[in-house]
Amino acid sequence: MSAQFHQEDEFSARLDTGLWWKIFRRSLRYKRQLYPLFASAVVLAVCDALFVQITRWVIDGVVRDGAAAPFGRYVAVYLAITVVFSGCVWSFINLAGSLCNHLAHDIRTESFDKLQALEFAFFDTRPVGWLISRLTSDCDRLARVIGWGLLDITWGITYVVMIAASLLYMNWRLGLIVIGVVPPLALISRIFQKKMLLSSREIRKYNSQITAGYNESIQGVRTTKTLVREADNLKEFQSLSVAMFDASVLNARQTSSYYPIVTTLGSLAAGLALWRGGYLTAGGAMSLGTLVAFVNFAGQFFNPINQLAQRLTEMQGAQAAGERVLGLLETVPAIKDSPAVTAKIAAHATSVPSPSPIAHHPSPAALAADGGPARIDSIEFRNVTFRYENGPVVLHDFNLTVRAGETIALVGPSGGGKSTIVSLVCRFYEPVSGSILINGIDYRERSLAWLQSQLGIVLQTPHLFKGNVRENIRYGRLTATDAEVEAAAKLVNAHEFITQMENGYDSSVGEGGNRLSTGQRQLLSFARALLANPQIFVMDEATSSIDTETEQLIQRGLETIFSGRISFVIAHRLSTIRRADRILVITGGRIEEFGTHAELLRRRGHYYELYTSQFRREREEAVLEGSGADGKA
Amino acid sequence: MFSQLQVIWSLMRGFRLRYGCALGCLVFVTVLNYGVPLVGSAAIDYAVAHKSLDATTPSLIAGLLRLLGGADFLRTHLWLAPLAMVLLAAAAGFFSYLKGWQASLASDGIARRLKDDLYDHLNHLPARYHDKADTGDLVQRCTSDVETVRQFLAAQVMEIGNALLLAATALPLLLSLSVPMTLVSFALVGPLTIYAYIYFRQVQHVFKEVAEAEGALTAVIQENLTGIRVVRAFARQEFERDKFATPNARYRDRSLHLMRLMAWYWSISDVVALGQLGITLIVGAQWITEGKLTVGMLFAFLSYLGIMLWPVRQMGRILTDLGKTSVALTRIREILSVARESVAAPIPAVSKAEGRAERADPAQPLPPLTGRLAVRDLHFHHAGPESAEASRGALNGLSFDVQPGETLAILGPSGAGKSTLMHLLLRLYDYTSGSIQFDGRELSSLPRAWVRAQIGVVMQEPFLFSKTLRDNLRLGRGDAPDHEIEAAARAAVIHDTILGFAEGYATLIGERGITLSGGQRQRVAIARAVLKRPPLLILDDAMSAIDAETESVILQALRERRGRATTLVIAHRLSTLAHADRVIVLDHGRIIQTGTHAQLSSQEGLYRRLWQIQTSVESDFKNELKPA
Repeated sequence: MSAQFHQEDEFSARLDTGLWWKIFRRSLRYKRQLYPLFASAVVLAVCDALFVQITRWVIDGVVRDGAAAPFGRYVAVYLAITVVFSGCVWSFINLAGSLCNHLAHDIRTESFDKLQALEFAFFDTRPVGWLISRLTSDCDRLARVIGWGLLDITWGITYVVMIAASLLYMNWRLGLIVIGVVPPLALISRIFQKKMLLSSREIRKYNSQITAGYNESIQGVRTTKTLVREADNLKEFQSLSVAMFDASVLNARQTSSYYPIVTTLGSLAAGLALWRGGYLTAGGAMSLGTLVAFVNFAGQFFNPINQLAQRLTEMQGAQAAGERVLGLLETVPAIKDSPAVTAKIAAHATSVPSPSPIAHHPSPAALAADGGPARIDSIEFRNVTFRYENGPVVLHDFNLTVRAGETIALVGPSGGGKSTIVSLVCRFYEPVSGSILINGIDYRERSLAWLQSQLGIVLQTPHLFKGNVRENIRYGRLTATDAEVEAAAKLVNAHEFITQMENGYDSSVGEGGNRLSTGQRQLLSFARALLANPQIFVMDEATSSIDTETEQLIQRGLETIFSGRISFVIAHRLSTIRRADRILVITGGRIEEFGTHAELLRRRGHYYELYTSQFRREREEAVLEGSGADGKA
Repeated sequence: MFSQLQVIWSLMRGFRLRYGCALGCLVFVTVLNYGVPLVGSAAIDYAVAHKSLDATTPSLIAGLLRLLGGADFLRTHLWLAPLAMVLLAAAAGFFSYLKGWQASLASDGIARRLKDDLYDHLNHLPARYHDKADTGDLVQRCTSDVETVRQFLAAQVMEIGNALLLAATALPLLLSLSVPMTLVSFALVGPLTIYAYIYFRQVQHVFKEVAEAEGALTAVIQENLTGIRVVRAFARQEFERDKFATPNARYRDRSLHLMRLMAWYWSISDVVALGQLGITLIVGAQWITEGKLTVGMLFAFLSYLGIMLWPVRQMGRILTDLGKTSVALTRIREILSVARESVAAPIPAVSKAEGRAERADPAQPLPPLTGRLAVRDLHFHHAGPESAEASRGALNGLSFDVQPGETLAILGPSGAGKSTLMHLLLRLYDYTSGSIQFDGRELSSLPRAWVRAQIGVVMQEPFLFSKTLRDNLRLGRGDAPDHEIEAAARAAVIHDTILGFAEGYATLIGERGITLSGGQRQRVAIARAVLKRPPLLILDDAMSAIDAETESVILQALRERRGRATTLVIAHRLSTLAHADRVIVLDHGRIIQTGTHAQLSSQEGLYRRLWQIQTSVESDFKNELKPA
């Protein structure tokens, strides 16, 4: 899965004009920045050219008129151009900066929104770190290429044209000779810029390998020590650090040969101007000021051409980023409301102006946002077959009906399809064939947002958000009062440990909840799910990774949580499983056994085996933990 | 400031000559670069404008003209001047290339050495250091801080050298051409430098704000994406969008703020720089009419000013970067200044046990361990204040013996000190007092490398490297032939699993490859340890994620190897414990029971209670069914 994501820095051999046109069209929205930006780039280039002309004008003036030269006018004109020039600099930095940052901000917002709407399957194949880079560095980079690229390209082209026009205007024969250096200059610039980009890519690649190397060696330092691998590790690491050294030196050599070559070309042009122009001036056919202007202009071709080459190369380098970002923006969510459902939601919204915000055990007559019944009386799997993208079939022709108030426990080996069943219930995925019915209606004919707002889910690894305890519980229902938050915490026995924290409910949980133990995090995630007051409650291995003590706390709260809801429980702990109304043993995507706890035990089948080994394991744990406690007493 | 320079100077050890080369090249570049406008100036004045040499001609120009064959010769051979200009530029370019190359060899060489040193040092730091260290922070120091230092060494050192060189040479040169013109041309350069410095000092905190805003934005995105299942589970997309909007807008606005400041800086510094050029041009022109200056000379001054202004405007940034470099260096040196694991630590206390332990003679190569261990009155406490946390894993006077080839199981609640004992045997920690003897030699006198080479250890959460499976197994013994690798994999019941992967033993694992389950990782680690053929094998809860049946197959395979390896097994499961010759029960750092399976199951205690579960399952289960 990851191999394809490591080649993200490929260099695009040719510019994809279609792609860049699409990206450019997005920036057309920022007319207030875009047009003034073009204007200031043009004015700036004109000013650059005028400075050279002023020098010529002044020199010719003093050579011709001596002390009678109009010095006052020189100062005034020079001052005026300086002011215009500096004003342009001020405005282009502001405009390009504004364009970049607004563009990046808006693309980022759009991408983020898209990620919120995309189905789980999208995230299954893309690591979080990869997605983060799309939203941060890719967006910034693209915006930079657009903002500063437009500026530099406009400026560069205008300046090159201005210089060429000035040269041709002053003396077209000599001008043509000097302009002769432009093609080689442009060619060399393009070649070198590309080389430098490639070698700096190489450096970045080694750099990320070196980072990974450090990471691995620090995390595995005990293993390194026990295997006495210090010297071998260093040798392996050195192959990376040497490779990076070589790439860095290569890049430095390219950079430091590129500039001398182009500046030498520049002085060749200046020399040509001085040589041919010198004869003309000596013969009186050209003024001294014009000669100086020629020499100056000839030396300045390098600057805009270098900028143009650099920007074009950058666009090639950023093309992959552009493709990725546009690709994300253009992805259509595979799971979303059908047009028919959208129409129903719209119709319902107009007929009922202010729907009740919370579905507190809706009455049978209450309606959901899509106009269907708000209450869930039954969920039915009808001949459901499912497989993950390109994967083997994990659920075969699965049938199951669950009624309101029922608790279903799913047990069986990992990979048997338990988690898939609950993911399908939550419509995180949809069946490949067959259908899932809510109150007898295919759930694809109901609103996705409505269904998902009826869920309460507790996962094996509870995820908390940065913030305080109260905010995290309230995530279950944003409108809940403080009293309701505390009531939920009390029901799952979390209140006690919360009040013992330094700031009670206002205590920070740390990043990802790392200031709390797994058990405490799990209690909070139970409180959060309970506060949502869901009609469907899902527990996915939620009690497997916590200690016995916390588990007992949770058990006492489960009664309240399960009552009146449809609950799906994937569990190892016997205390949880025993509580279920029905237990399904799932193996190989099918129901192998089902029944109540007692029925299944009597059958002495697969459940019996699972049960006895789990029972033994829990007792062993209890004995070991108990002995620790005895010793302390 | 001075001490920082000293640190940088010592960092350059071994590369100072290269820096010398680079600086030498820089001198050539500077001098040759002066030549180009000078030749242009001379040609304009004396060859084109027909000025004749007189007393006002600066000696430098006169010398240059002589070099080119005299003014008259140049007039008829005007091509000589452009040729000289191109040659000078080419020569300057050549030296500039050499300079860049040498500077890169030096700075990248230093950076490479620093990286290698850090890597090696981290591998040799004691386990206690790593217990407390934060991986992310360490990696940050080793990568981005080193990069900051490298950039300083590569670019800033040369830029500062360049600026100093320019200041040291340009002034005398220009003064020799024309004193009043020099004063006019440099009137605003001083204020410009000061302005640049003050400005960059002021915006320093804005740079930081932007970086922080970006960090906050990334954190929000990361939180959302790692918790995307929770977001969906509660259908909180709207809420998340709002949460994201604030840092996203803040990052934009902070960046815009920085841009506005930059716009002011560059436009004002442009006004000053252009003003300087303007003053030079106008005053110069005035003086030309008064005959005090020639057109060529004005051309030269304008050209020099062009060369000088850019470094001056960059100076503020360079000086502020110096502060960043100094912080980065301090962070790097914090790691390097921590003492490495000693090769052979002194015995902390004289062993009181019967007979003095023999100290290993460092000169004598040690024979392989036979597998006899003796532990006497062993104490260990974690450093730090006395607390419930610190007493976890402490050892309070442990004594036991292990015979060669024996399998000893260690049982006890978590925090009893089982893993600590393993760490002491591996010399990952050093014991506070008491004695551990390997074949009668005191452990603390034995070289760590030798000790660890004698032990094969498998931890509960074993660490595998992101290499192929074969390479991971081979870490146990580098020269192991393929058939032995496979035999070890078979013993650990992982061979068939490996063959099930598309690429078999060549399958890459870890971040860039496939992810193994906990049980698979444990089995690979067991195979790795078996392949090592160590005289002492330690299994530290190494089969917790392996099912009982497989575990018993593995233990059977290990048993067949018995006679070769002494084995210490930390385990909770009775099925594992039953394979041991002897069991010791540990609690609070003391041995509370010891004996064979038969002895312990007839004594009251932890072991028996565990044993009873086995038989009680059936009766408990009958009880449970009664009410149903």
